[in-house]
Amino acid sequence: MAKSYFGAVDEYGFERHEDFDYGSYEAFMSNYLKVLASRAQKWAILLGDDGKSVKRTTTVKRYVRKGIPSEHRPSVWMAISQAEIMKEQSPDLYQKILDGPFEKELVDLVKTDLPRTFPDNIYFTKEANHQTHLFNILIAYAHNNRVVGYCQGLNYIAGLLLLATKNEETSFWLLKVLVEKILPDYYTKTMDGLIVDIEVLSELVKSKVPDVHQHVINLGLPWAVITTKWFVCLFAEVLPIETVLRIWDCLFYEGSKILFRVCLTLIRQNRQKIMSCNDFTSLAECFKSIVKDYSALHCHEFMEKIFTVPGSLSNSTIIKLRERFAKQRREQQQKEPPR
Amino acid sequence: MATNRSGAAQRPNGAPQTKVCQFKLVLLGESAVGKSSLVLRFVKGQFHEYQESTIGAAFLTQTVCLDDTTVKFEIWDTAGQERYHSLAPMYYRGAQAAIVVYDITNQDTFGRAKNWVKELQRQASPSIVIALAGNKSDLAAKRMVEFEEAQAYADENGLLFMETSAKTAMNVNDIFLAIANKLPKSEGGGSAGAGGARRLGDAEQARSSSCCK
Ligand SMILES: Nc1nc2c(ncn2[C@@H]2O[C@H](COP(=O)(O)OP(=O)(O)OP(=O)(O)O)[C@@H](O)[C@H]2O)c(=O)[nH]1
Ligand SMILES: [Mg+2]
Repeated sequence: MAKSYFGAVDEYGFERHEDFDYGSYEAFMSNYLKVLASRAQKWAILLGDDGKSVKRTTTVKRYVRKGIPSEHRPSVWMAISQAEIMKEQSPDLYQKILDGPFEKELVDLVKTDLPRTFPDNIYFTKEANHQTHLFNILIAYAHNNRVVGYCQGLNYIAGLLLLATKNEETSFWLLKVLVEKILPDYYTKTMDGLIVDIEVLSELVKSKVPDVHQHVINLGLPWAVITTKWFVCLFAEVLPIETVLRIWDCLFYEGSKILFRVCLTLIRQNRQKIMSCNDFTSLAECFKSIVKDYSALHCHEFMEKIFTVPGSLSNSTIIKLRERFAKQRREQQQKEPPR
Repeated sequence: MATNRSGAAQRPNGAPQTKVCQFKLVLLGESAVGKSSLVLRFVKGQFHEYQESTIGAAFLTQTVCLDDTTVKFEIWDTAGQERYHSLAPMYYRGAQAAIVVYDITNQDTFGRAKNWVKELQRQASPSIVIALAGNKSDLAAKRMVEFEEAQAYADENGLLFMETSAKTAMNVNDIFLAIANKLPKSEGGGSAGAGGARRLGDAEQARSSSCCK
């Protein structure tokens, strides 16, 4: 293979696999580095010399959509998501929980997943220190929110927060704001919010891309099978990392509606590919490939698309659909008591 | 790529016409018992000391050859944590085979496996072929579930049973082969409904790769 300017490990510590396509990546980065440089300048002016905390204004929203420079992500995520306020209200909370004691059952659950989180990331090896930080974040959160405890999937979110912020406590607060303020009940024991949101997405696909919706149903692949990981991991471990972080920029500002925009973009812009699958296996493979292709990698263009490709999507539509499917679910559960 | 037809002709003592049957198989069992590791061993011949925890489910395919039939497995490797349970029916619905996995070093996972078997017997297709896999047999020093106990339980319930190790590869191909052998490979039945295999049409057959190495 030709020598590349880019090494065997990416800037977040992930090993690049043998089949990593350096050519495409270089083509992408040569362009994206220019974007990053220009955004860095604009953010420097916005934030000023004293590094003041940003407010939620339309200018900031526009800036966030174009990407937060990685060095500002920790503070800007904290500010725009209101995690900062939560932290100010209980500044000692994190340390206090970590003083213990911990429940053995929760400790065992979390410990099982420590070596199974990003094993191909150099910061998450046994010798590096991120496994300890990850343990602290997850165990603290499990004790802080007993309704959620530990849900698999949170390990990837907390792990990526840690890689992006390099700070344990910041990661804890961002995890807390995601689970409690930004997302409906995705991670509780019954995962009701997740199941409802998957139905909401299915309904949105049905109205916005009806032929794809019908085709996918005809081939016997439920939307939940395709999208559970998308929602649970907020695209971590699904899309390329730079794209995930750009999505999270908007997620922290604009909320969970962004997730539907991303899903709908992936589905609509790959309409041809999906429609040309004529059996179950090729369809399943198709959904694996579209999250890794050229368009998913080109995060700047991808993030522009999520605001145009799906068409209009109002908060009230999402709220109405969520209410409708939540109600349906409750009625169903009353009819057939749980196993 | 060679078409299936010519692939069949090259087989040493194969019948000139190989049937290709496609089956849906689901893996169930507690988190960290080794479901993904078994699939990785079977499909790619690999083992990772640290296997990522599965969220939702992962889909893979693998083909095995029997005397006169090529069996193509569509494999759903599911998430093991209890709270993902409510999503499981989606994966075992319409499945012709299931591997219920436990970890021989952990008694709780055996209890959980029994619950999965019960649920499959009640809710899955009545003709589903169920195999029980006692995984991590390489860790015999830490064994908590006796072979005889599991064998007796499997016999009572009409399950295939093997102790496996994704790490050493012991019995991994064998358990999939045993399932393939037990599955009904009836002809004719065109519907993908419960029970019968889907016999692939000519076009589909040409596309599906031949497995005989
Ligand atoms: N010694 C030994 N370890 C194993 C074996 N199979 C799996 N493991 C290890 O056990 C851990 C869990 O394996 P996985 O395959 O991820 O388990 P899983 O059932 O898919 O777990 P979930 O995805 O969380 O449901 C991994 O770290 C594996 O390396 C085995 O046969 N022997
Ligand atoms: Mg797994």
